[in-house]
Parts: sequence; C-alpha cells; structure tokens
Amino acid sequence: MTAPLTIKTLTNFREECKKDISSGKYCIRICMTGCRAYGAEEVKEALRSEIRMRGLEKSVEIRETGCQGFCAKAPMLTIDPIGIFYQEVTPADAADIVVKTIQNGDILGHLLYEDIKTGIKMPTKDQIPFFKLQNRRVLKNCGIIDPKNIRHYIAADGYGGLAKVLSEMTPEDVIGEVAASGLRGRGGAGFNTGAKWKFARQSPADLKYMVCNADEGDPGAFMDRAVLEGDPHRVIEGMIIGAYAIGARYGFIYAREEYPIAVEHLEIAIRQARELGFLGEKILRSAFSFDIQLKKGAGAFVCGEETALIASIEGKRGMPRPRPPFPAQAGIDGKPTNINNVETYANIPLIIQHGAGWYAGVGTDKSKGTKVFSLAGKVNNTGLVEVPIGMSIKEIIFNIGGGIPKGRKFKAVQMGGPSGGCVPEKHLGMPADYETLQTIGSIMGSGGMVVMDENNCMVEIARFFLEFTRSESCGKCAPCRLGTKQMLEILTRITEGRGRIDDIDMLKNIGENVIRSSLCGLGQTCAKPVLSTINFFRNEYEAHIRDRRCPGAVCESLVISACQHTCPVGINIPVYIAAIAEGDYVQAAEIIRERNPFPAICGRICHHPCEMKCRRGVLDEAMAIRSLKRFAADKYFETVQEPPPPFPKTQTRKVAVIGAGPTGLTCAFYLARMGYPVTVFEALPVGGGMLMVGVPEFRLPKTVVQKEIEYIRQRGVEIRYNTPVNVNFTLDDIKKMDYSAIFIGAGAQKSQRVGVPGEDESLHGLYYGLSFLRDVKLERDIYIGRRVVVIGGGNVALDVARSALRIHGSGKEEREVHVVCLETRDEMPAFEEEIEEAIDEGVFIHHSLGVKKILSEQGNVAGIESLAVASVFDTEGKFSPTYIPESEGIFPADTIIMSVGQAPDLSFLPPDSELERTKWKTLVVDSNTLSTNIPGIFAGGDFVTGPTFIIESIAAGRRGAVAIDKYLRGDTSRIVFIDEKQKITDKAIDEQLKEVEEEKLRVKMPTVPPEERTGDFREIELGFTEEKAREEAKRCLRCDLEK
Amino acid sequence: MKKEPIDFNKISAIIEKHRDQKWALIPLLQKVQEEFGYIPPESIEPIAEALRLFPSQVQGVITFYAQFSLKPRGKYLIRVCRGTACHVRGGKSILKIVKRELALEVGQTTEDYQFSLETVACLGACFLAPTMMVNKTYFGKLSPPKINSILRQYEK
Repeated sequence: MTAPLTIKTLTNFREECKKDISSGKYCIRICMTGCRAYGAEEVKEALRSEIRMRGLEKSVEIRETGCQGFCAKAPMLTIDPIGIFYQEVTPADAADIVVKTIQNGDILGHLLYEDIKTGIKMPTKDQIPFFKLQNRRVLKNCGIIDPKNIRHYIAADGYGGLAKVLSEMTPEDVIGEVAASGLRGRGGAGFNTGAKWKFARQSPADLKYMVCNADEGDPGAFMDRAVLEGDPHRVIEGMIIGAYAIGARYGFIYAREEYPIAVEHLEIAIRQARELGFLGEKILRSAFSFDIQLKKGAGAFVCGEETALIASIEGKRGMPRPRPPFPAQAGIDGKPTNINNVETYANIPLIIQHGAGWYAGVGTDKSKGTKVFSLAGKVNNTGLVEVPIGMSIKEIIFNIGGGIPKGRKFKAVQMGGPSGGCVPEKHLGMPADYETLQTIGSIMGSGGMVVMDENNCMVEIARFFLEFTRSESCGKCAPCRLGTKQMLEILTRITEGRGRIDDIDMLKNIGENVIRSSLCGLGQTCAKPVLSTINFFRNEYEAHIRDRRCPGAVCESLVISACQHTCPVGINIPVYIAAIAEGDYVQAAEIIRERNPFPAICGRICHHPCEMKCRRGVLDEAMAIRSLKRFAADKYFETVQEPPPPFPKTQTRKVAVIGAGPTGLTCAFYLARMGYPVTVFEALPVGGGMLMVGVPEFRLPKTVVQKEIEYIRQRGVEIRYNTPVNVNFTLDDIKKMDYSAIFIGAGAQKSQRVGVPGEDESLHGLYYGLSFLRDVKLERDIYIGRRVVVIGGGNVALDVARSALRIHGSGKEEREVHVVCLETRDEMPAFEEEIEEAIDEGVFIHHSLGVKKILSEQGNVAGIESLAVASVFDTEGKFSPTYIPESEGIFPADTIIMSVGQAPDLSFLPPDSELERTKWKTLVVDSNTLSTNIPGIFAGGDFVTGPTFIIESIAAGRRGAVAIDKYLRGDTSRIVFIDEKQKITDKAIDEQLKEVEEEKLRVKMPTVPPEERTGDFREIELGFTEEKAREEAKRCLRCDLEK
Repeated sequence: MKKEPIDFNKISAIIEKHRDQKWALIPLLQKVQEEFGYIPPESIEPIAEALRLFPSQVQGVITFYAQFSLKPRGKYLIRVCRGTACHVRGGKSILKIVKRELALEVGQTTEDYQFSLETVACLGACFLAPTMMVNKTYFGKLSPPKINSILRQYEK
C-alpha cells in the first residue's frame, strides 16, 4: 500500500485507482455477501477455474462485490461492459457464461430475469422494474465495487467528501450543510441529524465520542448489513466527517456479532483506511485526528437503544438508563457522545460532495433524500430497495417488489419490526415517510418491510413480536418487564383458542400503559404491533376468541390442516385425498358428504379457497383439491348404482325449507341426517336454484346437478316443486302445517340495474345477466345480435359473455362479444382462471370504462355512451368510481347484457310481515345462528348476504341445520365448528409419505381446446383419469398427520 | 467425543492480553467463547480479578447477552432464525424439523458434542427466508428435504 495520503495527493491517487480498475476488461460482478447463502462461492470458483482454463485471467476480472439488491434471485451476477444481468446462477453455468456470453457475446436465456406479469425476458438491469424504479444513492457502490479494496471506493469518488471538509469547511459549515440537507436519523426516530450534531458540538468537554449504531436488531431489516458488507468505507467516511463536525477524537462502530461478513469487511476497511491516512493521527496531514474501534455486540436487541448501547460499549449489561442527560451531554464514560445509525452516516459523504440542495431535491416536505427499505416476507422480489422518501407503500411492494407470490392476496405489511405497526390494504396508498405512517400507528422505522399475505394470522404475528420483545426486555423497568409478559400470555391464550372476549380490551389497556410508562424505546414501542393488529384486524381476534377459527389457518391449536380449516364447511380434505390415493373413491365421496352434499358440483365450480392455503403450494404447487373432489364424486355416481337408503327418521318435529338452491338443499340434507322430517318448497319446476339456472352448461352440466339433487331426495328429503311461497301461501300457512321451524334460503336472483339514463327494460336487445343465463340454460329463444356488449367485471359477466359466444343463431360466425368493466384487470372481481379462459375463447375485455348512458334507436339497443374511469376504489379501498371528465366515447352494440350484480328478492314476503329487514332490503339475521327476529324462522345464504360463492351457500345451509337442531333441543349456546381429527389407516400414511419429498408439479386438468369450445355448450373440463387422480392425490403432504 | 478438559493456559493467555484494560470485559468474553465454544465457569473469577470487577458483574454480563453460554456447545452451532420474515415464511416448522432430526430442544447440545441448537432473533438474511446458520455459514430458502441434506453434511 501507498504511504499515508494527504489532501493533495489524494486526487492523483484517485486517478491512479481509476486507471487500475477500468482497464477495458470484462468484469463479472458477483455478490459475495448475501448471495453466499445460496452458493455464490461455488459459482465464483467455477467461473474462476473456467477463466483460468481458457487463459482469460488478463481480460476477465471476477469482482467480489456486496449486495446487488435483488436478493430474491440469488446468486446473481452482472457482466460489464455488456451490462448483462444473470440470476439464479449455478456452477454448471460457468462454462457457458465464459464461452458463450463473454467470448461470443451470446445471451443465455435461462439465466435472464423474466417479468412477472408479461413473461418478457430482460437481459440488462436497467430494463428490470426492480432496478428501474429505484433511486440508488446510498447503495450506489453496493454491488458495484469490491468492498474489501479501498482503491475501489476511492475510484468511485470515495473520501472526496472528507477531503473537501478538511480543506475548505469549518465544523460549523459541516453541521450547517447537514442541517440544511434535512437528513433525519435513519435508525427510525427521524431526528434531524444536523441538529443532533449541533448539540454534541456545543457540549463542552475535553473528549467526545462518535458512535455508529450498527446493531441492526429489528427482525426483518437488513439494509445496514448490506451497506456495511458492500460499502463499508462510506460509513467510515461519514463517521469521520461527523467526528470533525462535533470534535470527537474517538469512535466506535457497534456491530452485531450475528453479521460475520459485516464484521470482517469493517475490520478490513478500518485497517486500510488507517494505512492510507484516513484514520488516526493527523488525518490526510490535517490538524484533525480521529480513530475508530470496532465493537462486536453480543446478541441483545435492547442494545440498539442508545443508552443501552453505551453501557454495552463500556462492557456492562446492556441496560438503558433514563434520559436526560442525553448522550450528547453525557454518554460513554460521561463524555459527550453522538450516536447515529449506519445508513445516516452513509448519507453524509453524498451531502458534502453534492451539496444540501441536491440532496433535498428528492423526498417530501418534511423528509428529504432517499430511504433504503428491506423487502422481505411474502413478496416476489425480496431484497434491498432505495427510493425517494414519500414513495407510496403500494408502489414499493407491487411495482418494485413485484407483488405477492402465487396469486395470493396481500394482507398487511409490517413496518419497523417489533417497534412498528402493520399497514393494511386500505392504507397501501400512503407515502412511506416518518410522519404519515405514525398517523395509523405504524412507523417507517429502520426500513424493514415484512409483507404478509392471506395465509398469515395477524394475532399470531402480534404474539410473535411480543414473544420477541418479552425475551429481549432487559427487565430494568417494571412496565416493560411485566407488561410484555402479560400481553404475551393473553395473546398465547387467544391463539390457542382459550381467549375471552374482554381480552381484546385488556390487551389495549395494558399496551397503552406499557407505551406510556416504560423507560426506553423498547418498552415504549413494544405494544405497537398488538395495538395496530387490533385496530386493523379486530375481526381476526374475534374469530379466534368467539369461533375458534384462525382466518389465516396458522394457529396450531386450532388448525389440524390448513385446507380443512379454510374450507367454509370444513371438509376433511387430507383424509378424502388419502382415500383417493388408496383407490377407495366411494369412501372419498362419503367423507366429502359429511360436510358437503354436493361433491360433484363443488368439484366443478368451487372457488377452492383451500388450495390457496395448501402447504404443498409453498413447496411447488398447491394440490388440485377441487379436481380431486370432482373425480371422487364422478366415480361415485359411475360405480354406485343402488340408490342410497333414506336416513332414519328419529325426530318427530318437522322442518320446512324454502328454496331448493344449494343453501336450502344443504340445510334439508343435514336436518334429514339428524333424523328430522324435512320438506323443501321450491317455486320452480326444477331444483338447484342458481346452480341450475345461473351457471352455464359448459362449466356445470344440468345432469350433474340433477344427480346430486336426486341423491339428496333419496336420502329422505321431500322436495315440492312448483310451490312458490307468496301471498297465497305464506310463512304463516307453512307454520300452520305443523312445521316447528322454517329455514328461508331463497337466494339472490334479482339482477341489479345499473341505473343510468336510457336503461329501459323494454328495449329490444337489452338483457340482465341472470335472466339471460337462465334463458340460455333452459334453451329458450334469445335474440342475440352481431355485436354484444356485456357490462360488468364479475364472474357472472364472464359467464354471460362466454354463453353469448356459444349461442346458435344467424351471424354466429361474425359475432363479437365485448365485456366492458370499470376495473383494471388486476382489480376485476372475476377469477383469474375465468378471465383467461374467456380471452382464450375470443371475448374482448375493455377495462377502466364506465357506462354513462344506454343508446337506442326506435326501441332497439344501439350502444352505450362510455366514460373513462379514473379510479374504482377510494383511498380506504371502498368501491367509489371516479371518472375522467370529458372522456365520453360511443360503443356501438346491438345487444347489451347488464351484469353488475344480483340481490335477494324479498317480494314474496307480504309487506306486513313481521320479519325485520335492513335498509339494504335484506333480512336481519344473527350471523352465528342465522335466526331472524321471529323465533323458529331462520334464513341464510345469498338470500341474506347477497351473492357469494357456492361453498359459502352450502356452509350457510349446514349452519342453518345445526342452528335449527339446537333451537329445537332448546340449546341456546353459540355454534362453534371445530376441526375434528379422523383416524386413518397406517397403510395410507406409509404409502403417501414415501413420495412427497421431491418436487412434483400438480397434475393439469385436461380441457377441450379453446378453438373447439365455442361451437356448443359442452363441458370444458374433462376430469382426471383414475391414474392421474391417484398420482395427484399422492402429492398431499398430509399436514393432518403432524398433529 | 467427550467434553474436552479445559486448557487453563489458553484462558490465562487471553486474560493477560486484556488485564487492566478499560471496557475489555465483552471482547475478552468473546475471545474465550471463540476459543472454547463457551465460557468455562471456572474462568469467571480470574477474569473478574484481571479486570478489577466482582465475579457477579462478570456473571451478570455473561447471562445478559444471548451470545454467551456457560455450557459447552457442540462442534457445530446451529442457529435457526426466528426473525419476522422467516416466521411469516414458515420458520416455525423449520425449527420443528431441526429439533426432530437432532432430537434436541433449543439451548441443548447432542451427547457427542457434535451439534448445539439455538434460535436467533434475526440473521439479517430475510431475503432468503426461512434461514439458518451453521457456525458462520448461512443457509437459505429452507425446506424439509433441504434441512436433512444440510444436517447430513455436518454429521460425523
């Protein structure tokens, strides 16, 4: 190494370094920090030997860098000057990289980043949204330079800020510049750094200390680690400048012992800086002397608190003490001490070199500059993200982070670790800055963002944080020591299903007191995760306490297997899948019928929330639960010819059910199973309700519905068709027929009007979704023109559009079907699968378009006047469309089908009925027992809730049956459904567990090709063969066996 | 393998380097622990004497910090991350599997002193969650089969 530099010789030395480094060679940059955990070392060695073998050492440099940021794709490398970015590289790729890419200039397709949405491959960093949308200032060198070589840092203008400070600025100038930049403490508190330095400068003392808090303890935060590992000199330079400003002689970097690479790189950096004269006596031959010592933490979260950190540096137990005196007055050894976080120091050289004005050019009014966030958890692009302060959280998670993996739903993001709070979906539009997040009980903190999806339980997350803070509480002050323990006990009780309803208020009470009365930051923030999850996810707490349900299907004491727990009717999924694996299909169908009398129907059209929670889905792909259900049911009907025996009638009191839809028939079926004589009154000549008239034939054939209704009838349920309940035949009439209880499951079959000018039901060519589907299904004559416009973005709208494509009639060949909806593709309520199928079949979908007016000519539909949509939902996430003014357009059509939703039709109830109704014209029922205000009358399903999913309708029917049974037995307790464990044979266990370990993707459902589909209404899905079904069934991980 | 007898010369050498130094307790303990894998209780008194502390102060610091152990640890220290990101990605079941495979509870060491099992608040490798560390090597994106192959690598 060169002898100590001076301010003058530094400039020449820098030129020398630059020349050394950029000698026109190829440079392969490979991350040797974070990526090491994923085999970067082996990749580097393979590349090195490949290069040596081909004698390319002179022309190809392999540079070991720090974190390049895109950690999700580790190990990664970039090849310059061509600028290629390769991800998930293995040692086996080394030869191709050297020969094909470097020697021949060919790009290796399989190593390129593929855009999540479009599937387009992107060879260079600047094309990838993850990098493109960032503003990397603090992380500028990270992943570019070799952090173990000070010359790299110097070549990248390193220590230029220090030289400037020493040669032309007074300490007051430095403090003024930093204050003017608006930089605020990046550790989380957000105190103005310049102001902090001013206090330390003004404290009179013979000796002052400068401390870098590198005890990054927040679980979920790793930006400091990346900076220390990837660009340690930047932090050191920032510290030296700060020391000059406040007049400190000695400094400490307090780094976590859990970060061995950071410690190693810091040790190297400090040594090199000393050798070149950046540290030690008379820095760069100026009058200023300063040196840094590295202190390793010993694993105590509380040491992130500044007074505790000071105690730990002094070799004591890391316990905080009351302030004042503040460290700026009396810190280490009673001397004035300034403590800043790693990222704060890393900003300093930038401010000095580029000026406060440049620095404050980005950010918000109150918070300037950029912030590094660490994205982790349930997000596609985990890694380090640097953006201007104030960027919306949504943009960070969805545009840079690429959204949530595997199509799952976002639930919340935890900001600021155990000291922060969660941000739920409705607040995603918030800017990530210090002040705004505090308004909803969260914080920006040190920048850790842990994303959670629908498969996380918020109560369990709160418990997790409390477990952490309880164990990290130093015990010095009572509120924190006892409060964390008390809160943890209550949270544990709730997650174990032993919670009490007043526990929620108790948690709030304790939490608020701990925050108010604790000594240090740990205690003053430890209750935040609890309070914020109660604030935003109170329903999850209540579900645990009142219903023993865990909506995320996580809590071990409540959940046997996540799929079963998530199924609204609680089908014992792993056990019936095991029966399929064993080849016992009839048994499988019977297991399903324990909870759901419609296996063949649900096997076709259920929206399968179970599959979203499937643990196999974490490994590779979720089990095809719905398709297996269909297989079992179809096999049942294929092999069992004998009609099943009716359930024995053990009860004397009779029950009436109104409506033979899925809810009514389910209710009747389970009442019959419990021994009650049941009669179903149905207005139409056919049963099945929506299933029969609202779901198109190509998704659910009539014959399937008929078979399942017949099965229910055979088990002893009497169904009276053509028996509408109305003014001539009222509920009172039914009561008089000696029915002890009545269940109303009349569905939601009234199409909603859009309510725009020109919407005249008598127009020729204007239809409503549900009646259209019914007419199609019943094969009635329908006029349909050449240009069909369907209005709506839900599943019914797509069913309508796809049916319209298939209807026979003149001009079918030229027919165009357009769907016009308010939402963007991502916002559409329809299922992704159905959207894709509709597009494949030739349906055109027009997004972000609203209807202003229906146009007509002489009683015939002529088209719509459209308006462009600005936004569909408000900042709270509520449906509240806004339009772009003067964006009207004409959309010609000769057939318009309105499909914007359905509502229950209460017109059959006499106006003077005593049944209590809501202002939305639905019945008032107790959500637990489904009882109305009149004893003995119950109601449920779409009739009460409005349209939902088939499985929810079935669940309501089952709940109704249980409620009526309890009512008739005089049992007034709440209904609680608890998952039950079933016995299974050892044979099944052995056979299955043998095969589950290796990766195996799920079996695809065979379908009719799109070009053959639209000719008629034949069913699209063909069903599994026996061989395929068993192959799929064997993929099940059998989570139920772990309990 | 049995618990090795402690080489007191080594302890004395470390202590002597730090004798009478200011604020040296934690670095000294870190060196002892690095050398022996734990802090032999027998070393508390000589350390206290060298730094002019009470043995109770030394003991207090040892028990305060998670890094220090007064019990011998295995050749390979497995630290399963219990950080938030690992937690939301199933870190709990990773710990369960490691416990089952090694037949150890957290804080315990196998009889042959091959493995010790601990949890850690966060390894700062959240992007690879769920993660664990064996001595100073990180392992990420863990799954049940992967854990088995990692552990096999370190078996005798």
